[in-house]
Amino acid sequence: MSQRTSRSSFGVPARAVAAFVLLLAAVSAHAEASSGSLHDSAMLFIHRCAQCHTVGGGRGVGPDLAGVTSRRDKDWLVGFIQNPDPYLDKDAQAKKLLAEYGDLRMENVHVTKAQAEGLIAFIQSASQTPSPELRSPDEGWHGFSVPGLLIFAVLAAGTLIVSVFGARRDAAVLAVFCAASAYWAFGGWRYFRLPGDQQGHIPPQPIAFSHELHAGRLTISCLYCHGGAQRSDSAGVPPLSVCMNCHVAVRSVSGAKEPSPEIAKIVAAYDASVSSPTARGFAWNRVHHLPDYVHFSHRAHIANNLQCQECHGPVQTMTRMRQAAPLTMGWCINCHRLTPKDAPSHWKRVGGPLDCASCHF
Amino acid sequence: MTEDERRAYEEQDGREGVERRDFLKILGGSFAAMASGCDLHAPREKIVPYARQIEGQTPGLARWYASTCAGCAAACGVLVKSRDGRPIKMEGNPDHPLSRGGLCARGQATVLDLYDSERLKNPLSAGAAASWASLDAGVEKALAEAKRQGRKVRVLSQTVPSPALDAAVAEFCARHGAERVIYDEPSFAAILEAHRLTRGRAVLPRYRFENARAIASFDADFLGAWLSPVEFTKSWSARRKPDGKMSWHAQFESRMSVTGANADLRAAVKPSDMLATVVELSRLVAERLGRAAPAHVAGKTPVAHEVLRRTAEALAAAHGEALVVSGSSDSAVQRAVNGLNETLGAYGRTVDVAHPSYQRRGETGALDRLIAEMERGEVGALIVFEANPCYDHSRAEAFTAALAKVGALVSLTQRRDETATHAAFVATTPHALETWGDARPAAGVHSLVQPLIEPLYDSRSIIESLLAWSGQAVTAHDYVRGQWLKTVYPRHKGGGSFDAFWDQALERGVVSIDAPAEAHGALRAEALSGLKSARAAAAAGEFELDAYASVAMFDGRQANNPWLQELPDPVTKVTWGNVALFSPADAKRLGVEDGRMVRLSAGTRAIDLPACVQPGQADGVVAAALGYGRPSAGPIAANLPTRKLLPIEVDPPGGADIFPLASGSALSVAVLEQTSALARTQLMDSLTEPFTGRERPIIQEASLEEYRKLAPAEGVPENEAGMWPKHDYKGHKWGMAINLTSCTGCAGCVVACTAENNVPVVGKAEVRKSREMHWIRLDRYYGGDEPETNPTVAFQPMLCQHCDDAPCETVCPVAATTHSTEGLNMQVYNRCVGTRYCANNCPYKVRRFNWFDYAHDDLTQNMVLNPDVTVRTRGVMEKCSFCVQRINSAKFQAAEDGRAVVDGDVTPACAQSCPADAIVFGDMNDPKSRVARTARENHSFRVLEELGVGPSVFYGIKVRNAQVRKS
Repeated sequence: MSQRTSRSSFGVPARAVAAFVLLLAAVSAHAEASSGSLHDSAMLFIHRCAQCHTVGGGRGVGPDLAGVTSRRDKDWLVGFIQNPDPYLDKDAQAKKLLAEYGDLRMENVHVTKAQAEGLIAFIQSASQTPSPELRSPDEGWHGFSVPGLLIFAVLAAGTLIVSVFGARRDAAVLAVFCAASAYWAFGGWRYFRLPGDQQGHIPPQPIAFSHELHAGRLTISCLYCHGGAQRSDSAGVPPLSVCMNCHVAVRSVSGAKEPSPEIAKIVAAYDASVSSPTARGFAWNRVHHLPDYVHFSHRAHIANNLQCQECHGPVQTMTRMRQAAPLTMGWCINCHRLTPKDAPSHWKRVGGPLDCASCHF
Repeated sequence: MTEDERRAYEEQDGREGVERRDFLKILGGSFAAMASGCDLHAPREKIVPYARQIEGQTPGLARWYASTCAGCAAACGVLVKSRDGRPIKMEGNPDHPLSRGGLCARGQATVLDLYDSERLKNPLSAGAAASWASLDAGVEKALAEAKRQGRKVRVLSQTVPSPALDAAVAEFCARHGAERVIYDEPSFAAILEAHRLTRGRAVLPRYRFENARAIASFDADFLGAWLSPVEFTKSWSARRKPDGKMSWHAQFESRMSVTGANADLRAAVKPSDMLATVVELSRLVAERLGRAAPAHVAGKTPVAHEVLRRTAEALAAAHGEALVVSGSSDSAVQRAVNGLNETLGAYGRTVDVAHPSYQRRGETGALDRLIAEMERGEVGALIVFEANPCYDHSRAEAFTAALAKVGALVSLTQRRDETATHAAFVATTPHALETWGDARPAAGVHSLVQPLIEPLYDSRSIIESLLAWSGQAVTAHDYVRGQWLKTVYPRHKGGGSFDAFWDQALERGVVSIDAPAEAHGALRAEALSGLKSARAAAAAGEFELDAYASVAMFDGRQANNPWLQELPDPVTKVTWGNVALFSPADAKRLGVEDGRMVRLSAGTRAIDLPACVQPGQADGVVAAALGYGRPSAGPIAANLPTRKLLPIEVDPPGGADIFPLASGSALSVAVLEQTSALARTQLMDSLTEPFTGRERPIIQEASLEEYRKLAPAEGVPENEAGMWPKHDYKGHKWGMAINLTSCTGCAGCVVACTAENNVPVVGKAEVRKSREMHWIRLDRYYGGDEPETNPTVAFQPMLCQHCDDAPCETVCPVAATTHSTEGLNMQVYNRCVGTRYCANNCPYKVRRFNWFDYAHDDLTQNMVLNPDVTVRTRGVMEKCSFCVQRINSAKFQAAEDGRAVVDGDVTPACAQSCPADAIVFGDMNDPKSRVARTARENHSFRVLEELGVGPSVFYGIKVRNAQVRKS
């Protein structure tokens, strides 16, 4: 009973612990921020490297990079990534690979030294959890925070001591802090997200369709394939017949002599639909998913002159489609709340409705 | 709740096994998973686009197609909403000259019939699945056998007003020497017979209520389920404008019908007294107009002389603009009505026999003659389509027995109904949304039926089957098109190619052509003499039966439709089954109360039904709705415990089949020991406070005289009692105006809302606990000086009032119900945690709580769900949203078109299909909008104004034309 009533003695250790934790957290967060984010590197890899390379997904146009960090010296890798040409001309290892991959030279992907180091860190991390598909950059564990571990150790010891010698109630409070620090120390904060938020989701698709090629290099308008965005709530995924508008003639990737096996899949599926009226297109894996209780209208946003990239990210750089935005309600509302001062000038109407029933009905 | 009950609930709910402890474990686990960054990902879904672009089809965009309703033979025009290839909503077609944009409850529910998983999946031969080739061979053989034996071939159906189908039947009959038999139940043969006798032609006139200034109806429920209720409601309500010409309407009927509830003068009359009443009225009218009095008939009317005098005065005053209709199946009554209409100069004005209706064609005795032929063993092959003769008429038992002597029964049907179970061959037919067809409900009105979806099951249209058995392989589309080329196109004005004409007809759904006037003779006075009532008065202590077609169930063809089973009868408010209705005096005499089981017997037939006391019903009459108690309609009609639809159901089958008693003989009533609680949605019938006797102003009424004396209405009611600062609605302020004078209580809005908003069906047991989910309900109140014997009735559609200072909003602990900047009271399902505080604090009782995950196990039926509206889960509150999905859609469309939302862009589902045009919706901030004008000018009131919650629904005062105008 005395423990339950000892209120005045309870506040002091708890406050001290809280202050200590906050101080260390601030220091640690600063350190994390300056070291560069693995997430950014992953995105960079997807934009610049994933067209030709996989990590543990087998050989593509270029070599599988799984475990490359243990095979090669780090400086060599950084140099090669930043400017491959001198290596391909002079370096024996590079020349050997060039011969192995049909004299197809790696292009200069124009990255800084820091970015190249980040890419190597990402490849190293991704190599530890190889999978047939390139893993989403947000999946997997990327190590722990040293200050976090320190706090955790202190708190764990403190909890142990207090629980043995002190009041059980104080021990319980410490245990909560202990759990919180462990969560933080082992990187939980990095993965914390609202349930259903799958920013960065980049599922495999039945064919290796590249938005980078179609929307980026060939500059085909988004609305050519996703015409529903203009007229309907859903943008829609184009039927095979839309693909065939071009691919009836285009059977190979530009520059390549051989017909593309991926385009061949489209042609085969389309031809199959001739004989069977019930034939369907490919079963694409949904990238952008909203819960059923949210209603998003593409046409309302297109009518307001929003650009597709404002929500979908730089699609024209994405080899494989990924979810660029978190698509959480907070993220939606941030734009709906914009004032004329902050809103992009190309919008016809500033901000959007904030009524619940605008989206939830 | 007992432990057993709880277990039963959980089992039926598909949630057995999750105990509270398990739930807590899962809850804890999911928090841990969230904290540790485990992949609590959204569902992994596939997107499967079309292989080929379908012309004009955009995913997520609704398309509308014009077609014709096949719910009954009224053949109203419909617009069908199709989303991604699935028809999901039926609405009235404003271009149709009869239904003019309205659609009744049953018509709107036909879309759910399409997705009924109890439909037959393939043709049957001798009860087993068969191929079409083997079925055709079997039918051909049976027909050949009948020919060889010299036996007759008969084609039996109820009325289908389709000229193309008639032509196909004619080809079949010509080929096989067959004869067609048409019957209708409830029968209209008496009207045809009366016209044959009085005018020399068996026609069903087209009644023009829009031309009628005074109406007298004898047991014709023309606003409910009689003949063409949508057409009649449109026409009738068009003349019920207190500011313009307001018609006067008297109803003489044995039970309280929807029509009687709307009448200005109403008298309860037993069916056997109907003839004497019509003749007495005719005498009084003839007296006033100086015509020869009709021949006297046996019997004396029980109706007070004052009532008949007022009716006669009103009718006589409206000479040339008066209309008398009768729903009686007694030819003598109909002949007397014809005589009265002639006296009133109704023919050519309000009763059109030159351009008649084709909505019913079954003639007297046709079915009896067929049964006699069958009993004599003369019928070698019987083809039945669009009918269920083993169930849907009073001699179904005799018909079924006589089938033993029929060579082969071929049933063309969608489902394994009572007739199909006896059939040697069952040719499955498609739903009207899966096939081609046409309709001609009245002279000069031709409409098309077009398919919106590939047949879900292996079926073949009736036209195709009949033609196949006539040796023609032609599709229904080609045949209908060919018929239109031959019959409709040549009489169409406007020229152009047939292709252009056809495309235009398909787009509009209906074509009006000039039909030549059909000749008919003058009234034959001799047909009016010697009238004798076909219905004998019941002996003392016995009852006369009024077996009526109800608004929801009609003749039972849609008995397996859960929307209709759960639709409360507009007057009795009973769902899920029929009841035996007694007048209050009879109930008192017999000692029965609501829910007491009674046994109705006539001869050897007996039926048990729960009793229900019905104010305003004639003494000595027991009334019961047809269409219930079908043994072979499916689990919903049988009200069986089914996990597919209902969370729990441990009740005996809903309702009983009343057809066997419907032949008109007297009934004896025995009161049983058992009770069966009624599944009723309204328990309070009166607005009079029990102790003070004060009338609560929930509905404000006025007689026409009082209404005309009112000062011109100025503005809408202002909220004076509010305790909150006023809202500032800068943009739109949505509001609704409901005209109680126009509203007939037909319940079309209830099903419209159910279809639009994915409102779940809860089942009988749940309705008994007042857990029905309808977002809009029709409150019905009895009042007047004689609330028991002859009450005045008022209907009031009640939906979320979207209060400015909504009491529900202030009590929600999680802010799941909030106020929008446009005056909507919003319900956010994903935020709701189900405290139900809001429902408790709602003065209108319009909030509905999901006690279970209702009705989402049947994947076929789920195809009818509207993808624009969230399907709510268990534990969530819901209510009318003013069809916010339509508001948003209108806004998006306006933004796309680069304009502002204008008046008329938004029409909620209830307003769209209202056959009486009683509901107006729009922007109250726009002074020129229809809703603002209506609310301003209609002497509107708001329900429970004194609470100061500021509702956004404005009710137009209910005006009754109590006076008899002399002019």
